[in-house]
Amino acid sequence: MTYLFQIFNGIGIGMLYFLLAVGLSVIFGLLQFVNFAHGAFYLLGAYFTYDLVERGYSFWVAMPLAAIMVMALAALTEIVLLRRIYKLPHTFHILVTVGLALIIQEMTIIVWGPLGGNVPPPEGLNGVIIVGDFIYPEYRLFVIAFTAVLAVGLWWVLEGTRIGAIVRAGSESSENTALLGYNTLRINSAVFGLGAGLAGLAGALAAPIRGVEPFMGLEALGIAFVVVVIGGMGSYTGALLAGILVGVTQSVMASLWPEGARLMIYLGMALVIVAMPRGLLGRA
Amino acid sequence: MINRRRLLQSGAIAGASLLLPGLAGRAFSASEAITVGIPVPISGPFAANGKFASLGGILAAEEASREFGRQVKTLDLDTEGKPATAVRKVQDAFDNNGIKLYAGGILSSESLAMGKEALRRNGVFITTAGADEITGTDCNAATFRWSVPTYGAIEQTVRPLVDMLPDAKRWYTITPQYVFGDGLLNVAKDIFKEKGIEHVGNSYHSLTEKEFSGYLTNAIAARPDVLLILNFGSQSSDTLRQAVSFGLKNRMTILVAWASGLEQFEALGPDICEGVYFGAQYWHGVDTPGNQALVKSVRERFDLTPNYSLAGSYILTKLLVDAAVKAGSIDGDKVAAELRGKTYEGLTGEETIRAQDNQVIKDYYLLKGKAKKDMADKDDFAEIVSQGKSFLSPEDAGCKMG
Repeated sequence: MTYLFQIFNGIGIGMLYFLLAVGLSVIFGLLQFVNFAHGAFYLLGAYFTYDLVERGYSFWVAMPLAAIMVMALAALTEIVLLRRIYKLPHTFHILVTVGLALIIQEMTIIVWGPLGGNVPPPEGLNGVIIVGDFIYPEYRLFVIAFTAVLAVGLWWVLEGTRIGAIVRAGSESSENTALLGYNTLRINSAVFGLGAGLAGLAGALAAPIRGVEPFMGLEALGIAFVVVVIGGMGSYTGALLAGILVGVTQSVMASLWPEGARLMIYLGMALVIVAMPRGLLGRA
Repeated sequence: MINRRRLLQSGAIAGASLLLPGLAGRAFSASEAITVGIPVPISGPFAANGKFASLGGILAAEEASREFGRQVKTLDLDTEGKPATAVRKVQDAFDNNGIKLYAGGILSSESLAMGKEALRRNGVFITTAGADEITGTDCNAATFRWSVPTYGAIEQTVRPLVDMLPDAKRWYTITPQYVFGDGLLNVAKDIFKEKGIEHVGNSYHSLTEKEFSGYLTNAIAARPDVLLILNFGSQSSDTLRQAVSFGLKNRMTILVAWASGLEQFEALGPDICEGVYFGAQYWHGVDTPGNQALVKSVRERFDLTPNYSLAGSYILTKLLVDAAVKAGSIDGDKVAAELRGKTYEGLTGEETIRAQDNQVIKDYYLLKGKAKKDMADKDDFAEIVSQGKSFLSPEDAGCKMG
C-alpha cells in the first residue's frame, strides 16, 4: 500500500518537474538554444511570489503575477541579449546563460538577502487529505490538478491552434516561416518568454512547498535537464512523461532504497542517453 | 528581521584587512596589533553564516581593542565552504599577512583541513564545526572546538524528550547518509535501546536531497509518536517545512536535533516552528551574564539579535585574543597552552576548554517553538526547555593528541 501512496506522491512531484522542464524543452525545440538560466527564472518566480505575499498580496494574485513578471523579464532579456547569440555555437549559449543565471542569483541575494524565506500555502489549501494511513497536503493536490489542466491547455495551444502551428513551423524551419510572412524574431521572443514564464510559474507553485532560498535555481536546473534529456529535447509530451517518471522514481525509491533516490534518477538519465540518445519521445 | 537582512544586504561591514609582517616567532610589544583570521564562507550556499560570523569577529575585536588598549582586527578569508579554498586562504594569510590566529570554519570538512594547516605552521585554529573527528580521531594540538559534538547534541535533546514524553515509544528518524548523520543516529539508537524505545524506521537521504515527501510518506506509514530529524541547515528546514505541510505536527512530536538557531527560525517562520522541538548550540535568550552582555552589544552595534553564527564567531575570536594577550605572543603553541584547561564565564555560563582534546565543555539546548501570539518580540521564536552538558571522554572520542 505504501508503494501506491509513493506512486501518487511521485506523480505530484513529477507534475511540478514537468512544468519546470517543459519551458526548457519548448525553448530548445524552437530556438535550438540551451538555456542554462532556466533555473534562475524558476528562482525569480519563487522570490517574486514570496515578495508579493510578504507585501500582503494574496497567493492567488502573487502566483500569476510572478509568472507574468518572469515572462516579461525573460522576453526583454531575449530581445536585448540572447537573440544576438542564437547563431553562435552552443558553447556561447552556455557561457552567456550561465553568466545570466549567476547575475540573477547574486541580484536575488542583494535584493532579498542570503537567508531563505517561507511562503505559506494559501488559505483553504493549508490542510491535509487523509485516506486511511495516507496523508496528503491539499496544496500539493491543487498543484497536481492545476498543472494537469495547464498541461492540457498548453498541449492544445501548441497542437490545436494557429499560434501553435506557427511555433511548430518555426521550430522546423525559421527561414521558411519567415518567408511565409511571419515575424520570427517576435515569435522567438514570445516563445522564450513563455518558456521562462513556465519556469517562473513552477517557482511560484513550488514556493509554498519548498520555501525560497537563493540557490534553489541550481537544483531546479539540474532536474529540468534530467527531465528534458529523458523525455527528449523539444518534446512536449516527452517532458510530461519524463517529469512523472522522475517524480515517481524519486518517491518510490524513498521506500525501496532511500539513499539511492537521487542516484537512480541520474542513472536513469545515463541509461536513456546510451540506449535512446534522442530521449524517450525526442524527434529524429 | 528587516534590520538583519538589510545589514547583510548592504555588505557594508566586512573584516578589516591589513598586512602584519614580522610577527612570526616572537613576542609582540604592547602597542602591536593583533589580527585574527576569520576563515568562513562569505560566498556560496553558506554565505549567510559566514557574513554573520564576520560580524561576530569584528565585535570581539572591537571590544578587545578597548579592553587591552591595543589594535585588534579581523581579516575575513572567504573559504567558499570548500576545504581546498579554505586551506589556500589560510596559507596565504600565514605567508602574506603573518596571521597565526584563526577563528572560523562553518563546515566540518573545511575545519578539519584548516586545523591541520594551523598545526603545521604553529598557528592556532578554533571552530564551531560539528564533526566529531575535530576533537576526536583527528584532534590535534592546534585545533580547538567550541560547539558540542554529535554525542552531546543527541544526549541533550533525545534523552530529555524521552523523559518528557513517557508515552512516546515509537520513534522514526530521517538521516543524511554520511558521517555526521550516522554519528547522530548511532547515539540516538543507544538511547532508544537504553530507554526501551522502538525505533520504527529510518530513512537515509543524500546530501543533495531537497524533496522529502517520499521519506515523510514512509514515516507516516510507520506510525511513530516522534519524528526525529537528523539533517541540518537547509535540508532540515526543507524536511520540517514539508513535514508540517503533511500535517505531521498534529499527529506526532517533531524534534530537529541539530538546528541552526535564529536564522533558521527566521527562514521558517513561527507558524512552522510552533510546537516543534529543536536542539541548539546557542540561543539569544540564554540567561547568563556573558550572553546578556553580548545581546546588548550586538543590538547596539548592529541593530540585530545575535544568532549562532555571530555568537560562535564572537566567542571564538574573544578566546583567541584573550589567550594571545595573556601569552604575550601569537605563536600557536603559546596561545594553545593558554587556552588549554581554561575555565571562563562564556555565553552559555561556565565553560571549560578540556585540556586532553581541546574541546570546550558547554551547554547544549533543547528549545520549543512558540506560537506567534506568545512571542515577546520578533526574535522570540522559542523557549528553552532544558539544557546541559554531555560529552564523551577524550578516550572514548578517540582523541590521541600525541
